[in-house]
Amino acid sequence: MKKMDSLQYSLKTFRYDQLWLPISFCFLFMIVMLINRRPESYYLLSRVYLGVVIPLVGGVLSAYALLEDPTLELRFASPEPSSRLLLERVGQIFLISAFCAGIMQVFDAFVQVDLSALGNIWHIQLVWLIPSLALMGLGTCLALMGKNSLNGVICVSLIWLIELLLRGWFAQNSIGKYFLLFMGVLIPDSPSLEANQLVLFVFSWLLFSLSCILFNRQERYL
Amino acid sequence: MIKIENLTKTYHSNGQTVTALNALSLTIDSGMFGLLGPNGAGKTTLMRILAGISLPTHGEVTVDGNNMGTEKGRMAVKASLGYLPQELGMYLELSAYQFVDYMAILKGMNDVTLRRQSVERSLEMVGLTEVSGRKIKGFSGGMKRRVGIAQALVNDPKLLIVDEPTAGLDPEERIRLRNLLVKLASNRIVLLSTHIVEDIGQTCQSMAVLAHGQVIFTGSPADLIHSASGHVWTLVSSSTEKPDHDLTVVSMLHLSEGIQYRLVGQSVDQYPQAQITPPGLEDGYVWLMKDHGHEVDVN
Repeated sequence: MKKMDSLQYSLKTFRYDQLWLPISFCFLFMIVMLINRRPESYYLLSRVYLGVVIPLVGGVLSAYALLEDPTLELRFASPEPSSRLLLERVGQIFLISAFCAGIMQVFDAFVQVDLSALGNIWHIQLVWLIPSLALMGLGTCLALMGKNSLNGVICVSLIWLIELLLRGWFAQNSIGKYFLLFMGVLIPDSPSLEANQLVLFVFSWLLFSLSCILFNRQERYL
Repeated sequence: MIKIENLTKTYHSNGQTVTALNALSLTIDSGMFGLLGPNGAGKTTLMRILAGISLPTHGEVTVDGNNMGTEKGRMAVKASLGYLPQELGMYLELSAYQFVDYMAILKGMNDVTLRRQSVERSLEMVGLTEVSGRKIKGFSGGMKRRVGIAQALVNDPKLLIVDEPTAGLDPEERIRLRNLLVKLASNRIVLLSTHIVEDIGQTCQSMAVLAHGQVIFTGSPADLIHSASGHVWTLVSSSTEKPDHDLTVVSMLHLSEGIQYRLVGQSVDQYPQAQITPPGLEDGYVWLMKDHGHEVDVN
């Protein structure tokens, strides 16, 4: 019962801009696809939304997820571990990302976009899931490290842009290829894809662990 | 009981090390305890350490035997803590009831019936029962402050820490809040931090004054008043020039015969017409600060 009540308040105190931003992008891509009326571009737009846009939006929102909470000092004075607040807030953003990815895939099925080039249904989920986790971890961690949400947003956006612009270099480089966020969507048949996804997943896990440690040092954020 | 021994707190700001608290020692027993000092004296830092939010750099702080230098100790204190921070942030879209209920959940109050009763009781204590269903965003500053007090009380805390609770309140609300705090202090420690001297005088049996991260006075408000005996004068002057000679003008009043100054200082040899006056708590505070070389900048 307590968990249900807690969840209920967690939703009531949820900042709805975190929902509207990714959903707006989702609808924007759908509208562009419909206006375009060229079925061959459907696949391109759909995978760009899944593998490139969703991770960026998730990373940006994660950077804003914690330090903007107006009751931060009250929550720090409660016996609730800081890591729970972190997981609660980032978890909400993750669910929104998953929801948007789901909507796009339903829409793809509706307009008969074939995503099978990205792999089976599980591989398609990894296309948005892995880079989203990496950028969400990065956004959270950098915002906490710099004690400023905007720092996190700027760093996430820069890393996303650099990776996008230098994707060719990353794909060719013997170490860079493991850190290419967009390998799943750009080079789905790469033999390094599984290793890349594993490295990014472990990297995300390390970033979230570091974020928990940082967020536990509560006085830094007041 | 709160026991603070040689507490030092430093932090880094813009590449410099700032000492917020410097080898501070203090013992606080049950009842209402006032913490007075100018802005930047270290009051909020001390409050945050006692609330388990900040960590001591050196020294030892124990609250009811729990060492605040350890995670276990801090968690134990937080479980029975009521805390009202100086800058109170709230979820404005929630109603007063919902906000206090949410804070109760975060404080680990699992039993739904018990929690509902506690929320209703704490809202009643601050006089918000009638408006408990209204969204906080429509509340005045004083009402928001009362919601803040209600959330601090909801878990019936053993230690209640209130940082500048009367800031921004109108006189009626200030009196109501002070009375409530005194009532609550009958069976717990209530730690009141403020820079409003009057609030301490009206509520606390014992107090401490902080300046530059150090305790420069501990005792009762009466002791602080007594310390200024023989150092407070009134002077009526037709001159518009303020008295100087190392005297602090605590108040000024325009009378038909001139301006009446209330002065605090070592001596008024330069003003033979000055008359000695019984000190008040504010005079005691000003004299204490002067006596310790922390000139109160009111001139």
